[in-house]
Amino acid sequence: MISTLDQVICGGLTFEKTAVELREKVAFRASQLPAALVEMKRELGLHEAVLVSTCNRVEYFGATSGPTQAAEAWPAFLRRFHNIAEDFAAPSFQLRGEPCVEHLFSVASGLKSMVVGETEILGQLKDAYDIARSEGQTGKWLNRLFQSSFAAAKSVRSRTAITRGSVSVGSVAVELAEKIFGDLRGCRVMVIGAGETSERTARALLSHGLPSILVANRTHERAAALAQELGGTAVRWEDWEARAVEVDIMISSTSAPHYVLTAEKLEGLVRQRGRRPLFLIDLAVPRDFEPAINLLDDVYLYDIDDLQSIAQGHLRSRQTEIVRSVEILKPHVERYLHWASRQGEPGFANRMQA
Amino acid sequence: MRDHLWLFLATLGYLASAGWGLYALGSRRPLANSWTFLLILGAFLLHTAFLHERGEEIGHCPITNLFETLAFFSWSLVLTYLVVGPAYRMSILGAFTAPVVFLINFFALSTPVDVPNALPHLGWTLELHATLALLGFGVLGVAALASVAYLIQEHQLKRHVLGSWFYSLPNVGRLELVQQHVLVWGFAIFSGGAALGFFIPHRGPDDWVKIVWSGVVWALYAVLIVVLAAGRLSHKKTALLSVAGYVFILLTFWGINSLSEAHVFPHEG
Repeated sequence: MISTLDQVICGGLTFEKTAVELREKVAFRASQLPAALVEMKRELGLHEAVLVSTCNRVEYFGATSGPTQAAEAWPAFLRRFHNIAEDFAAPSFQLRGEPCVEHLFSVASGLKSMVVGETEILGQLKDAYDIARSEGQTGKWLNRLFQSSFAAAKSVRSRTAITRGSVSVGSVAVELAEKIFGDLRGCRVMVIGAGETSERTARALLSHGLPSILVANRTHERAAALAQELGGTAVRWEDWEARAVEVDIMISSTSAPHYVLTAEKLEGLVRQRGRRPLFLIDLAVPRDFEPAINLLDDVYLYDIDDLQSIAQGHLRSRQTEIVRSVEILKPHVERYLHWASRQGEPGFANRMQA
Repeated sequence: MRDHLWLFLATLGYLASAGWGLYALGSRRPLANSWTFLLILGAFLLHTAFLHERGEEIGHCPITNLFETLAFFSWSLVLTYLVVGPAYRMSILGAFTAPVVFLINFFALSTPVDVPNALPHLGWTLELHATLALLGFGVLGVAALASVAYLIQEHQLKRHVLGSWFYSLPNVGRLELVQQHVLVWGFAIFSGGAALGFFIPHRGPDDWVKIVWSGVVWALYAVLIVVLAAGRLSHKKTALLSVAGYVFILLTFWGINSLSEAHVFPHEG
């Protein structure tokens, strides 16, 4: 006989123990979830079920009177549903009762994410819960559990700095651009050198509404290919300096052994541009932009080390917030446990329904 | 002396606003700036009560001695902030306005400058001249404070220092915009006030100390506006000049008002 609270269980696979090569084999598309929920609930012996599938985790949440059966049936369910041979018993985990509640609240708050504090997971949990509820697969245990986890996550986000600061080169570049220009929708960007990092950074900026992009590369074909992919315009290498007057943000990642842009050359360019600020992102090693450029007024220069060090600083700040976040989660966990412990009391369920 | 109590309480309110404003800058909580605004608004109401009561008592716009002039000067600074803050979503400027207002009021309250100056009825031209000039200083003050915020944010971006203030302060583009708009408004109001001075009837010698000083201030800001319009100066240099201009006003205002000969006006009515 298990305790009332131990009826609430969770388990599955996360990035901590399972490599992406394995996780991608057992990931569920949103369209598969309704059917998977029904089968998982039956095979694992659950009364209620929610299935969460993201790039970093595939997890089930359930209410059951047979948690051991659920743990044993989970790997078999994955094999059968996805028609694969791998055995996922070893990397799978299962938590019951209080640890399960703590786990979900921590996941919802981004404390267990690969990038601590990321907020996408909360939306993914909400989506998974909405699908399960609309399919009629949840009941009092999971409804209360998930709704409490959303409230707990909101509390952590508003009372700590766990979600603050960008943690990738691209998002740091966006954050800086927004602090220079405000609304990015009126800004124009030029990519010099069609490298992978500059492409990712340009994509991050474009996703924030930049209207157009110019791409210049020594090999014009590569510039044209990248421009097409990004929905921009290719510029011939010999023309990039003339076109630079039009842009507000320049991202450079050429393999040139010398500076592509010197302070002296930029001074003339700045005069032509008037008083519009210019944001230069130098992702090349050796660097493309002479560091003395940063001494010019209205010009902001960041190299790859600057961006990475900002991203790492943000990540460190987020990690220091984990302890505070756990403290904030405690009363939320206790409230749920208190509610759950009263479920066995005679007449309590009726009073709750009244 | 009940009016002194109003100003004293207002000054305490500005001190509290300054403390809270600094906390808001460091806390990165957007709601904290709204509280700064509300605290300043509360202090402003007390400040207004002082000016109203003093005005009723002396029968003039309360700018008849240095004490009243300083109080009116700081009041116009707050009034501008209360307009610019919501209009440009710049409640954060309260963190810069409150300390300056506190210091001006503290100086006024702690020095023996509240010497009664029995003046006859001065006429609306003179009152409007002085009021507009002081309001202009208030608006130019907020432009200077927006410039300070710009310089801090610009410094953080240049030095790659992304602390709490970096996230709390608005982007440099918006700070530039506010600084320039407010600067132009301040200059226009001050110019209007100064121009009215030419139409005021008076007897005795001209108050050359004040006239020259006002001319210097006017010329300084006129040059700044012209180079700004011509796009000759970088944003940083514009901001530095705006701050320098206002520091000049703050440092010389009380001295000029103490040194200048009292205007001698004809009795009217």
